[in-house]
Amino acid sequence: MTLLSTVKTKQNDSSGLKRLGMGIMYLILVGVAVFQLYPLLWLFFFSLKGNREIFGQSPFALPEDWLWENYQRVWTVGNMDTYFFNSVFITVTAVVLTLLFASLATFAIMRMKWKFSGIALLFIMVGYMIPIHTALVPLFSMFLRVGLLDNHLSIILVYIAYHLPLTVMILSGFYSQLSREIEEAAIVDGASIHRIFFQITLPMTTPVLSTTMIINMIYNWNEFVFANTFLSSDSLRTLTVGIQSFVGQYLTDWGAIGATLVISIVPVLVAYLFLSNRIVEGVAAGSVKG
Amino acid sequence: MTKKHGFLLFVMAILMATLVACGGNGDEDANGDDTADTNGDDEEVEERVLELSHLWPEGSSPQHHEIVSGIIEEFEADNPGITIETDIYGNEQYRENLSVISAANELPDVGMTWGGGFIEPYAEGEMFTPLDDLVTDDFVPGTVDAFAVDGQTYALPLELNIAPVYYNTEMFEDHGLEAPETLDDLKHIVETLVDNDITPATLGNREPWTGSMWYMYLADRIGGPDVLTEAINREGSFEHDALIEAAAELQELTDMDAFINGFNGLGNDEAKGYFINEQAAMYMMGTWDLPEWTTSEDNPQEFKDKIDYFKFPTVDGGDGDIDSFVGGPGVGLYVSEDSDMQEEAKAFVSHFVQRWGELSVEEAGVIPATAVDTDGMDLPDMYIDVLNDLNEATNLTLYADVQMGQDTEDVHLDMIQALMAGEVTPEEFAENHEEALAQEED
Amino acid sequence: MDKVMSNKWVIFLYLLPATLMIGVLVYIPIAVSGYFGLFDWDGVGAMNFIGLQNYTELLTDSTFWFSARNSFYLALFSTLALVVYLGVALVLSSKVKGRELFRKIYLIPMLLSSVAIAQLWIRVYDPNNGFLNTFLRNIGFDNPPAWLAERDTVLFAIFVAIVWQFAGFYIIIYTAALKGISEELVEAAEIDGASPLQIATRIKVPLISGVIKTTVVLAIVGSLKYFDLIWVMTGGGPNGASEVLASYMYKEAFNRNNFGYGSAIGFALLILALLTTVVIQKITKSKESQ
Repeated sequence: MTLLSTVKTKQNDSSGLKRLGMGIMYLILVGVAVFQLYPLLWLFFFSLKGNREIFGQSPFALPEDWLWENYQRVWTVGNMDTYFFNSVFITVTAVVLTLLFASLATFAIMRMKWKFSGIALLFIMVGYMIPIHTALVPLFSMFLRVGLLDNHLSIILVYIAYHLPLTVMILSGFYSQLSREIEEAAIVDGASIHRIFFQITLPMTTPVLSTTMIINMIYNWNEFVFANTFLSSDSLRTLTVGIQSFVGQYLTDWGAIGATLVISIVPVLVAYLFLSNRIVEGVAAGSVKG
Repeated sequence: MTKKHGFLLFVMAILMATLVACGGNGDEDANGDDTADTNGDDEEVEERVLELSHLWPEGSSPQHHEIVSGIIEEFEADNPGITIETDIYGNEQYRENLSVISAANELPDVGMTWGGGFIEPYAEGEMFTPLDDLVTDDFVPGTVDAFAVDGQTYALPLELNIAPVYYNTEMFEDHGLEAPETLDDLKHIVETLVDNDITPATLGNREPWTGSMWYMYLADRIGGPDVLTEAINREGSFEHDALIEAAAELQELTDMDAFINGFNGLGNDEAKGYFINEQAAMYMMGTWDLPEWTTSEDNPQEFKDKIDYFKFPTVDGGDGDIDSFVGGPGVGLYVSEDSDMQEEAKAFVSHFVQRWGELSVEEAGVIPATAVDTDGMDLPDMYIDVLNDLNEATNLTLYADVQMGQDTEDVHLDMIQALMAGEVTPEEFAENHEEALAQEED
Repeated sequence: MDKVMSNKWVIFLYLLPATLMIGVLVYIPIAVSGYFGLFDWDGVGAMNFIGLQNYTELLTDSTFWFSARNSFYLALFSTLALVVYLGVALVLSSKVKGRELFRKIYLIPMLLSSVAIAQLWIRVYDPNNGFLNTFLRNIGFDNPPAWLAERDTVLFAIFVAIVWQFAGFYIIIYTAALKGISEELVEAAEIDGASPLQIATRIKVPLISGVIKTTVVLAIVGSLKYFDLIWVMTGGGPNGASEVLASYMYKEAFNRNNFGYGSAIGFALLILALLTTVVIQKITKSKESQ
């Protein structure tokens, strides 16, 4: 990156050098882009192969026979439609509530004036530090006791609780750059605190809300450990757990796993492209900073 | 003040209510799709639910899954009033789940377990109930022992596998090679293949139980069938000459480049890929892989025709014979000690084992732990050969990692990787094992 | 004005959902696992109270310290990688044509689940047919290393995969932060004759320092408890060479049935993460005050 920047600083010297620098930079940018896009293509090919081709042959190779039946098998045998719906439901619910709770908490910590705000932030941050496997058995026992095992609610609650710390940390980084002028003006105008939060601060943070929404969405969508442990009924399982039904005692159906992975990436890809536009649009609302 | 916040409180209350309602929805879904949900337990009057969890999902093991479904239907038909409810997991998922549900004391009535060191804590913790009264003569000798702890049997085995060395006959013939009878023959094969730029054997030693099987055979052929077992059960020592020599031989094979480049970083599936793509001439693996060389639709017929197997060769001057095998039962069925339907659960296990024994070879290509009557069965030749070898077997040594307690198992697996990478000498290899075994004994 | 912003009721109300959920679903399990750490327990049988023995045993457990060392290497590596991520984000936020498209493409790998990423990188590092070694052989290296099989290379190889896995996560955070900087400020600097490099390092980076600080904490703590790819790609091997704290904890608790000891490792991990965070806060605070 420093190389790029040095090239760029010399742009002023002469237009020839400048053009060369830009050329090199674009070459690198495009190169990296290919590098980042290739995994999708690779995964797609992977999903159309059988074990014999997946292992021991060049990963670059096109599928010999395009095994579309991998998809068919996944969809019929693998119960994908149910898993798919469950994943969407859990992800959407958890993401929305996480963002709301995190925004409320961050606002109270970063914008409001009280003595123990630092401690409150630390309290939340510590939540990020626990390795999830440590919490597994205690959580399982808790849910067992209150009868929430094998229930989507347990998963949603856990996703919210375990992603709140991360979300609050990211949000608080942004709140610290946010100018207070507008809020102060609103207070002078006699606006209530809730109004300030919902109608002024929240809209100003659209770019970061979109960012955290993307991050939360991806994390929840791909989460495996909790979903695997707390949901046992087939009708409640999520896509990531569904993949496991192709892992056999001795033989694993990798083609089917590839197909499931491709199917499961489509909705996040669409949602991501949509949300990442929101990050740009959000600038207009939040351009009062700096 | 409170008036102002009333609105917000209201919003939050609605949110919380939605959340709870959502969760409730999930619950309804479950009940709707699955009439015999666990919730049914509370209100049962005549209908009784027997919980079974197994690790053969329809996705990865369609034939297994179908046989189990059939067995369940039969049992339900024969026992009116009992419904069997299944939780099905993938292999890894099942292991992970079992440790959590047992820590929380939530085992199903009937489930699957592995033998040896794996079952020990469950037996000693009185999670599984003894099933000695269900053991019949049908079981192949030695298979039930793998599930015995302190003289009692805690699960009934469903499968039996041995580990031969599969080889590519074409690659052998092209270089004038034949299946080896002695270790020297094997070394000659390795040399010839290496000279011709062919990888002699593929090995997925990132999962070191694969390398462990090579070591076990060498120990058996050099020191006879009991040396390793005695070292593990503390009747003997791991610093026995034969066990050190076996380590030295394995290291020599590694030094001769008998195994594929980078074997310590390859998983078993990846390693097998090299064999199936004919990039390596030999592959030692359990007979659970027989379908790959006989019935698999993924592998081309001309490849399958080239594959044969040989028994691990003997060592000149060694005490072992060629009909001694490394192998053992895979999973078995347990009955939970806490089950409130133990009698029914036991009856189901008996029925399961019997029917599985009759159906599994022909329909799923699985060799069961009960004696198989091949008359009238349409089996590929390789199955017949393996079943014959099993009949003539003089000894079956249970996989070392399964025999060991879980602490020693990890030392063993790490040491196999270290030995084959040349990071430890055969003496250090034995010393480390001895230390771990002695420590576990305390 | 302060009166509105320091209303105790509002603070309480806004913090309640987040702290309640974290308190119940994160703190209680932490406490329970610390408590499990006081027992000799195989997760199945009876629990024997042994006081602090598990914890004192940790102090002399060489595998624990070796894993901790690896985890700290990963933390260091991930922190250094932040510079690269920040560089990419800066280039993508400058006036490069097509930056929106590049940005979208660059973040796509973030959408892949760990299963897919692990399979991809296993193919990259396959000693014989892999992407990397095929490439190296083509450019004339006859004996490239078997990356995941060798003690000297395994850790570094996995670190590269992890850094790649998280690139999208950090770039998206930095991009959103950079979006918040007002255009006028940048334009004013350009009129003053500042080079793009100067604008990046002297204006943009200081303005998002709060966010950078957050990402440093996220990277370090995230690395200390990191598990996913290491578990799938090497299982901590060969011969323990790539063992990290989380994989060691998992092995003890779930593979070796030393549940008490595993819980103790998990608890120690939390303490290490907490101490590291406090140290970072101290360092950044003292720098700010200078």
